[in-house]
Amino acid sequence: MKTIKFLTITIILIFTFSCEDDNNIGVDTISITVEDLHAPLEGGQGQSASGPFTKFNFEDGIQTNSETNWDIAFRGTSIIVNGGISMDTVDEPERNGNGAAYIFEGTMNEMEIVQTSLLVSDSQNSYAIPTGSGNGWYTYSGPPNHLINPTPGKILVFRTHNNKFAKVEILSYYLGAPENPDALSDQSRYYTFNYVYQPNEGATIFD
Amino acid sequence: MKKFYKLFSYSFLFIFSVNLSGQNSAIDSLNNKLNEIVITATKTERVLSSLPLNVTIIKKEDIQEINANRLSDVINEEVGLITVSDFGGGEGIQMQGLDSQYTLILIDNQPIIGRLAGTLDLDRIAVENIKQIEIVRGASSSLYGNEALAGVINIITENPKKGFNVTLSSSIETHNSLDNNLSLSFKEGKFTSSLFLNSYSSDGYDLNNNDELKTVNEFSNKTLQLKLGYEINKNFDIKLNSRYFVQSIENIVPNNLSGETFTTEDNLSLSVHHRSKKINTDLDVYFTSYYGDEYLKDENDIKVSESFYDQILFKPEIKSTYSVNENDKITFGLGLKHESLKRTFFDVDPKQNSPFLYFQYDYYLSEKINLILGGRYDHFKDYKSQFSPKFSGIYKINDDKSLKVSVGYGFKSPDFRQLYFNFSNSSVGYSVIGYNVYENVLNQLIEQGEISSIIIPADEFNESLKPENSLSINIGYNFSLNDNIKFKTNLFNNLTKELIDTRVVAIKTNGQNVFSYYNINEVLTSGLEFETIYKFDNYLKFSIGYQLLYAFDLDALDAFNNGDVYARLTVDSPAFRLKKSDYFGLFNRSRHMGVLKINYDNLEKKLSANLRLRYRSKYGLYDSNSNNYLDNYDDFVNGYITTNISVNKIINSSLTVSGGVENIFNHLDRQNISNLSGRIYFLRAKYNLK
Repeated sequence: MKTIKFLTITIILIFTFSCEDDNNIGVDTISITVEDLHAPLEGGQGQSASGPFTKFNFEDGIQTNSETNWDIAFRGTSIIVNGGISMDTVDEPERNGNGAAYIFEGTMNEMEIVQTSLLVSDSQNSYAIPTGSGNGWYTYSGPPNHLINPTPGKILVFRTHNNKFAKVEILSYYLGAPENPDALSDQSRYYTFNYVYQPNEGATIFD
Repeated sequence: MKKFYKLFSYSFLFIFSVNLSGQNSAIDSLNNKLNEIVITATKTERVLSSLPLNVTIIKKEDIQEINANRLSDVINEEVGLITVSDFGGGEGIQMQGLDSQYTLILIDNQPIIGRLAGTLDLDRIAVENIKQIEIVRGASSSLYGNEALAGVINIITENPKKGFNVTLSSSIETHNSLDNNLSLSFKEGKFTSSLFLNSYSSDGYDLNNNDELKTVNEFSNKTLQLKLGYEINKNFDIKLNSRYFVQSIENIVPNNLSGETFTTEDNLSLSVHHRSKKINTDLDVYFTSYYGDEYLKDENDIKVSESFYDQILFKPEIKSTYSVNENDKITFGLGLKHESLKRTFFDVDPKQNSPFLYFQYDYYLSEKINLILGGRYDHFKDYKSQFSPKFSGIYKINDDKSLKVSVGYGFKSPDFRQLYFNFSNSSVGYSVIGYNVYENVLNQLIEQGEISSIIIPADEFNESLKPENSLSINIGYNFSLNDNIKFKTNLFNNLTKELIDTRVVAIKTNGQNVFSYYNINEVLTSGLEFETIYKFDNYLKFSIGYQLLYAFDLDALDAFNNGDVYARLTVDSPAFRLKKSDYFGLFNRSRHMGVLKINYDNLEKKLSANLRLRYRSKYGLYDSNSNNYLDNYDDFVNGYITTNISVNKIINSSLTVSGGVENIFNHLDRQNISNLSGRIYFLRAKYNLK
């Protein structure tokens, strides 16, 4: 198994201004940038995918090996949530939380209120965040550049395993988030993303 | 082999520099200007200046003075026309902002086939034996049917002149590119014949030394053309025209793999012409085949991949023109196209028979007004049959000014690939399925357990795929200020509908997509063409050409209007919404293109020279910010100018020696412009034996 490179987490803004809204009593939302979260994949490219998913917990803002205390997980370009049913690919973890997701089209700031009716969990046939270029979070450029880049304007909205909400904007799929990645020389499967976490249980408003 | 070519060309250069005798090509060119006859626009002989259509003629002298080797060299010097490299290295034409697949290419009035992935590679066509090239801009399906959506280019080859003629020419260029030509022609009494041989080879070049691939691989090709004619009597003649092309390209790829791309093309036509006082009838039977084979083998000579492409076209056509009076003509034609294709990634060997008929009424309303009304019906079994009307008119305001309008319908049928493809990419894992085999192939994939979900159900494929079609409008105004200054302007607007694109129809268990084809986009290309010629004196002539182009996908315009498109300024900054004005348009389209030519022609000193500048403003090749559209925040290829110079000296009446430099200022963009290899020097000798 490949060694998982350690990931750096930068906390850009921990506290935003406190909110007056009834919905958000208590703690303020948290904004975090995660850099180079490594999501290795074995197989793929036409072969069946295998290898452990890289699990992530929004509250702690770090990668985790916990069987239960995770919200989302990455393997190659696939993103799963801790909720619903496993598609039963090799090494895919069991879901035991209440996770769900949908994709909001717009900017991070425009994503203000979670539309809970749009949330879906993973299922036997498909993930809540659809796979394939143009269907989910990324665009594959095809020949000759073969780049996988996040599609701007796609905000991933997640319900965590324990009924809290987070919104995620993926920024890069390449190590070091280079400005002009080169699919031949830059290492892929390294996620850099911004997210805002709403720590109050059931609160659906970000601001 | 290579050494032989070298020897061949050097011997031309030196041996023939001793000879004397012959003709004066400059006087020939003066005579030609008086009767510029075009055949392509109406399928009848018409004088260029009287035509209501947007037509350009490139004459033999124009081709010779720039010392062009291949058709792409000639096309790139024309206003608004450029060749664009596809990923396979083919050089396809872009006309009025429309892709290579929408321009019909003819040699001696007959269509050329072998469009791999839509592109017809113009480097396949040698130019030394060309009499003239006729370019009709604007949809011309009313006479030509399929593919004539953007326009038609007809390459007319030289006809034998009286007596026995031999012409030899040879050139050597940077990259060890060698071009050798031999033309023999014979005309005596009722019999005419000509033979043309061309061999062209090059070592190719490499713009990017970081990989093991070459930008253009070493290649060699040969063209052979044989034309025979016999005049049975005054009214009746028969012609046989055949052409053969063979090319071999060396393939070298990483991991010690090597191979070859091999291409052959055959064209054979038999024409019978009958002329009477009122009625001219032509019967043409045309056969052409195109064969391509590509393989890679490893160091043990074991083939690791191979693909082939085997296409034929058979087309009999009969056409009659009835002269109502001195000027007015009615033309009727009918024929049949039989096409078939066998290739890798096809489960079936598709065949198609499409009968067609057309008419045209060429009518002079008055001395000053000429109207042409025409239409063609193409019958198809596998998709919607097409009726293509066209109307055009010219109003001669006076001897110096004329106004033209033409409105036409053009279409391009779904090609066999769009209908019958069954392809799975072995490295990434996606699949592409042709429209007509969708259900079968999808079921195969389901049986193999490769499909995880279906996005577009098979019954959406019940209705047949529609041909892509366009409504094209050209409005032209020509005027001459005096004998020395002439202007030509044209506004164009092509609204193309039912464009065929790919969409995701299912998702595979490996997470990759299955694509198939569908009719979706509407594309608008509109703009302005402008040309002016200024004869400064007997020696100097200036010509300037310019094209302004707007090329938009209408769905993309909507997406920008609705605010559905986003971009980022840097990789780590949040996405923001783009404005309507941020949409740049279609990929690989330059808003501005221009050509400037300065010709110097000194008959007394038998010396001519020309300087040509070609400009192309910035354009986008990739959606670098991954929002699926080309917008102002994408990376662009910078605008650039290439400068060419050519000098021709008539040593004596049979020998002309030329030399020159292309891309003098060595403009290079190694990443993005694969068909500019830097500065190129050439030397050429041409010898006429009467």
